Amino acid sequence: MTGRVSTALSTAVVALIAVAVVWPGLLAPGDPTAVDPLSAFASPGPGHWLGADESGRDLWTRVVHGAAASVGIGAAATGIGVGAGLVLGLAAGLGPRWLDAAVGRVIEVLFALPTLVLALLLVAVQGAGVRSSVLAVGAATAPGYARILRARVRTVAASGYVEAARLEGHGRVRVVVRHVLPNTLWPLVSVATLGIGQAVVWVCALSFLGLGALPPSPEWGAMLNAGRLYLDSAWWLTVVPGTAITLTAAALTVLGRRIGRVSA
Amino acid sequence: MAWLRWALARIGSALLVAWVVATVVFFALRAAGGDPTEAILGGPGSQAGPEAVAAARAEYGLDRPLVVQYLTQLWRVLTFDLGDSYARRVPVGDLLAEQLPGTFLLAVLALVLAWVLALAVATAAVGARGPVGRACAAVLRGVEVVAAVVPHFWLGAVLILVFSTTLGWFPATSSGSDPAGLVLPTVTLAVPVAGFLGQLIRDAVLEAETAPFAVTARARGGSAVGVLWRHSLRHGVLPAVALSGWAFGSLLSGAVVVETLFGRPGLGRLLLDATLSRDVPVVIGAVLVVALAYVVVMLVVDLLERVLDPRVPEVVA
Amino acid sequence: MARQSLVALAVVPVLLVAACSGATSEDATPQDGGTLVYATGDAEPTCLDPHVGGNYPQALISTQYLEPLVGRSEDGTILPWLASAWEVSDDGLTWDFTLENGVTFTDGTPFDADAVRVNIEHLQDPDTGSSTGYLAVQKVASVEAVDATHARFHLTEPDSALLESLSQQWTAMESPAGIERGMDANCAAPVGTGPFVVDSWTPQQQVDLVRNDDYAGLDPEAGHDGPAYVEQIVWRFIPDAATRYAALRSGEVQMIDNPQPDAVAAAGGDSDIALIDAPRPGASNRIELNAAQAPFDDIRVREAFVRSADIDAGIDTLFAGTVQRSSSVLSSVEPDVYSEPDLFTVDLDRANELLDEAGWTERDADGYRTKDGERLTVRFPVSTNQSVAAEQSLFEQIQAGAKQAGFDVVLTPLDLSGWYAALGAHEYEAVSAPYTKVGPDVLRILYHSDGTVPAPSGYFANHAELTDPALDDLLDRAATTSDADERSELYQQAQQTILESYTVLPLYDQLNRFLVRDAEGVRTLNTVATPTFLDARVLS
Repeated sequence: MTGRVSTALSTAVVALIAVAVVWPGLLAPGDPTAVDPLSAFASPGPGHWLGADESGRDLWTRVVHGAAASVGIGAAATGIGVGAGLVLGLAAGLGPRWLDAAVGRVIEVLFALPTLVLALLLVAVQGAGVRSSVLAVGAATAPGYARILRARVRTVAASGYVEAARLEGHGRVRVVVRHVLPNTLWPLVSVATLGIGQAVVWVCALSFLGLGALPPSPEWGAMLNAGRLYLDSAWWLTVVPGTAITLTAAALTVLGRRIGRVSA
Repeated sequence: MAWLRWALARIGSALLVAWVVATVVFFALRAAGGDPTEAILGGPGSQAGPEAVAAARAEYGLDRPLVVQYLTQLWRVLTFDLGDSYARRVPVGDLLAEQLPGTFLLAVLALVLAWVLALAVATAAVGARGPVGRACAAVLRGVEVVAAVVPHFWLGAVLILVFSTTLGWFPATSSGSDPAGLVLPTVTLAVPVAGFLGQLIRDAVLEAETAPFAVTARARGGSAVGVLWRHSLRHGVLPAVALSGWAFGSLLSGAVVVETLFGRPGLGRLLLDATLSRDVPVVIGAVLVVALAYVVVMLVVDLLERVLDPRVPEVVA
Repeated sequence: MARQSLVALAVVPVLLVAACSGATSEDATPQDGGTLVYATGDAEPTCLDPHVGGNYPQALISTQYLEPLVGRSEDGTILPWLASAWEVSDDGLTWDFTLENGVTFTDGTPFDADAVRVNIEHLQDPDTGSSTGYLAVQKVASVEAVDATHARFHLTEPDSALLESLSQQWTAMESPAGIERGMDANCAAPVGTGPFVVDSWTPQQQVDLVRNDDYAGLDPEAGHDGPAYVEQIVWRFIPDAATRYAALRSGEVQMIDNPQPDAVAAAGGDSDIALIDAPRPGASNRIELNAAQAPFDDIRVREAFVRSADIDAGIDTLFAGTVQRSSSVLSSVEPDVYSEPDLFTVDLDRANELLDEAGWTERDADGYRTKDGERLTVRFPVSTNQSVAAEQSLFEQIQAGAKQAGFDVVLTPLDLSGWYAALGAHEYEAVSAPYTKVGPDVLRILYHSDGTVPAPSGYFANHAELTDPALDDLLDRAATTSDADERSELYQQAQQTILESYTVLPLYDQLNRFLVRDAEGVRTLNTVATPTFLDARVLS
C-alpha cells in the first residue's frame, strides 16, 4: 500500500520536474535572472511566494528554470558514467578472458579514486565549471556501473535461454543484441535513475568548494551554496533549492528501486 | 600456495593502482597550465623576476624534459620518497604523516556511526509490526532516502547553526582528536553513507526474510527478531559490506568538504589546497595515499565477506 | 524496541559530549595575560616570512612579530618606528636613516644598520622570491651601514614613495641571524622585534604566538609602554565564513576577519560583537575594462558599459548597508584620493546611444547587440579567492544591467591559478583585481604602461592595459618629485585621467573588516590596515 502511494507520489514529482525541464515558462513565466535589488531577501509571501534571493530574483522562478540545468547536469554525468560503464562492462563480460582481466584492473583503479579527488584533478586541468564537474562525476560513477554490468552480462550469458539460442545456431551478435542486452540493461536503468540524484548532489559539493556551475545560472547546487551564507537570516534561500534537490533525488530513488523490483 | 598467489595478486594490483595514479596525476597537473614554479615562488600571480624563476626551475629539475621529470617522480614514488612540497618546502611524506591520522580517524568514526545508524534503521523498518509500526517503517524509509541524498556541506551548516550557534552544545570548529569537536563532522559525514547503506541492508534483509532458511527457522519457533539477527541480517549485510570499501572512498571525498567546512586540518584540505596551488608532489602523494587506503580497505572487505558468507570459497585464485 | 535503541544510540554520545564541553561564564573584566584566539579566512601562508612572495595573509600575521622601519598615521604622515629620523639629499638619491638604539631581535641579535642592509639585500636576492617587497625597494641600489645606528640608502632614481614602501609589512625588519638559517627555517619562524614571537606552526590548523617579554615598545601608536597584555595568540585558519562566525558566537574564538555582510550589520549596538572597519590603502575595489582589445578598445563602448551598471541599490542590499559606493581609483583612506561621481551615474539611454554610435546596432535573438555578426561579449573572469560572495552577487547584478544595454557578460569563476592564467593570456574584457600598497604610488603599478609588460610568470598589473604617454609622464613626475604639494597635484591629475578614460568602474573601498567578541584594545595599523594585538586584552 505505502509502496503504491510512494510510487505514485514519486511519479508525480518526476512528471512535474519533467515539465519544468521541457517547458519552464508554463510553471513560472518570469525571467529567472531578472534582478530587482529592492525586493532582495523578500521572505515568502505575496509577490514572491517562495521568497526572493540576495539580488531580488524570484526563487520559484529560479527553481523551476534551474531544473533543466540541475537535472541536465545529473543526467549528463550519469550518461557519461553509464556509457563508460557500458563499454567497460560489455567488453569485460563478452570479450575474451584477457580483456576481462584488463578491464577489471581499469575498474579497480577508477574505484580507487574517490569522486571528489577525481573532480579536483579534472578541475585543475580544465578549470572550474559545469563541464569539469559533469566529467568528473561521470568518470567517478563509471566503475560502479561497469561492475554491475559485467556481473549481469556473465550471468545472462551463462543462462539457459542464451545457451539455447546459441545451440539453435543463432549468430553471436544476434544473441547479444536479442537476448543479452535487453536482460542486462533493465537493471541498469534502475541503478542509473538512482544515480542521477546522487550526481546532482556531487555537483553541488563541487559548487561548495567553488568549482561548480556558472552564475547567475539558477542551478540548484549553486543556489543552495550561495544561500547557505544567509542560512541564519534568510532560511528560504537554502530551504527552497535544498528541497528541490532532495525531492528530485528521493523521487528518482523511489522510482529507480521500483523499476529494479519489476526487473527482479 | 593458493594464499601466496592471492597475496601476490593483491600486491600486484596495489602496485598497479599506485603506478596509474602517479602517472595520471603527474600528467594531469602538468597539462593543467599554471606553472609549478608559481607554487614554488609564492603562489599564483607571482611577480618573481626571471633569475628567480630560472633558479627555481633548476632546483626542482623543472628545466629537464618532461619524460625525465616523470621518470624521476616515478622512481621517487617507488623508493617511498615523495619529494618536497613546492609551496611549503618540506618533505611531502611529513605533510601527509601529519594530516593522515586526523582524516582516517574521522573517516573510520563516520563509517562506524553510519553502520550503527543503518543497522538500527534497517532493523526497525524490517521488524516493524502492526499499522503504527508499518507507518513508522514508511517514515524511516523516507528518512533513509533523504539522508542518502543530503549534501554534506548543507547538513554541516545546519548542524552548526542548531548545535553550535543556537544550543551551544558542540564547537563549530574541530581540530585533532578533541572529542567534542569531532561530533558534528562525524555526524555530517556519516548520515549520507548511513542512508545509502541502510537502503542496501533493508533490501537484502527483506529478501532474506522470505528465503527458505528464514521461513524454516521461524517455523522451528525462532522469534522474529531472533531470526532476523541470527539469519537474515547475516545475509542482509553482505551487499553493504561489499560496498563499504566504496563507502570509505566516498567518506574520503566527503572529508574534503567537511574539513573545509569545520576548519579541521586533514588530508582532504591538504589535497584541495595543493591542487589549487599546483603543488604537484603533494597532490601525487595525497592521491596515492587515498588510493592505497582504498586498496587496503578492499582487502579487509574481501576478508570480511569470506567470514560472513559461507558460499564464498575460502580462497579464490 | 529496535527504534528505542536507535534513539538511545543517538542521544547517548550527544549527552556525554555536552557534559564534557562545559559552559562559559559571562562577566566582562579585562585581564592581563590569557590567550586570544584569532580566526582568519584568508589563505594560509606557505611561508610566514613576508619577504618571500608577499601577500596580504603574510602581512596580517607578520604584524604580530615583525616591525617596519617607519609607521604611518591616520592622515598619511610618516611616523618613526625602528628608524627614529631620516633625511633625504637634495638630488633625492641618498636617504640617511637614524635607527633606534639598543633594540634587539627576539633571538638576541642586535638591530643595527647592518641588519637593515641584510634585509634589503634579502628582499632583492632572486633566491628569496620576493615580489611585493621586491617591487617596493626596486629603486634602492644599495644600503650602506655608516655606523651602528646610521643606514644610508643609495637610490638609482628619486623615489617619493620610499617611506610609504618601507612602512609596509612586506619590507619589515628580520633578524640577520634568522635569515642566515636558510629559507626553510626562516619561513617556519621568522625572527623580528615585534610584540609576539612565533612559537609553533601546525599547518592547516594554527600558528601559536607567544608574548615577547622584552618588547621595546617602539610602535608609534602604542596605547601603553612595554610588552603586550595577552600572553599568547592562537592564529587559526578557518576557511568557511559561516563556520568562522559560528565559532565567534560560540566563544571558540575572540576575533575573526572577512565576515559576511549580515554578520557585520548585526554587530555593534546591543550586540556583544564589535566591528572594526579598516579599509585597506592603495586601490579601491574596482572593475577594470581591457582597453587593448575589442570591444573595449573604443571609449564609447567602455562608457556605455559603465553607464549601464546600476550598482548602488545592489551594494546597499548585498552588503546590508555597511558599504559605501566609491567613485575613485584610490581607497578613501588615501589623502590624495580624487573622486568624480558624475562619470558613473547610471544612464541607460546614453549607453544605448553610445553603442549605436560605435556601430553595435544589430540585436540577436537573445537581445544582445552585434556588429558584423559578432556578439557584444564581455568575458569577466572572477577569482573565487578574492571576490567574496556578496561581490560575486554584485557582478551578477552588473551582468543583468549590462544585458539591458545589449552586453553579453560572461562571468567565469576561477581558482587563483586559473584566474591568473586567464589574465596572462589576455582572455578577459573586464576584471576585478584588488591591489594593496601604501600610498598613491599604487597608481604607477596599476596604470603606468610599464605595467603591461608581463613578469616571467605572465603576470602584469595594468589590467586596463592603459598605455597613455601623458599618463605615464604624470606618474613618472609624481614618483620622482620631492615637493609634496606638486606630488599630490600630479596624482590627482593622474586619477582624473584614469577615471575619464572609462577603463575603471569603481565599486567600494577594499573591504577589511573584523569582528571582535570578549576582547578589547585591538587596533589596526594605518599602513596596510592589519590588526595589532599589542594593546589587546581578553575579557573574562
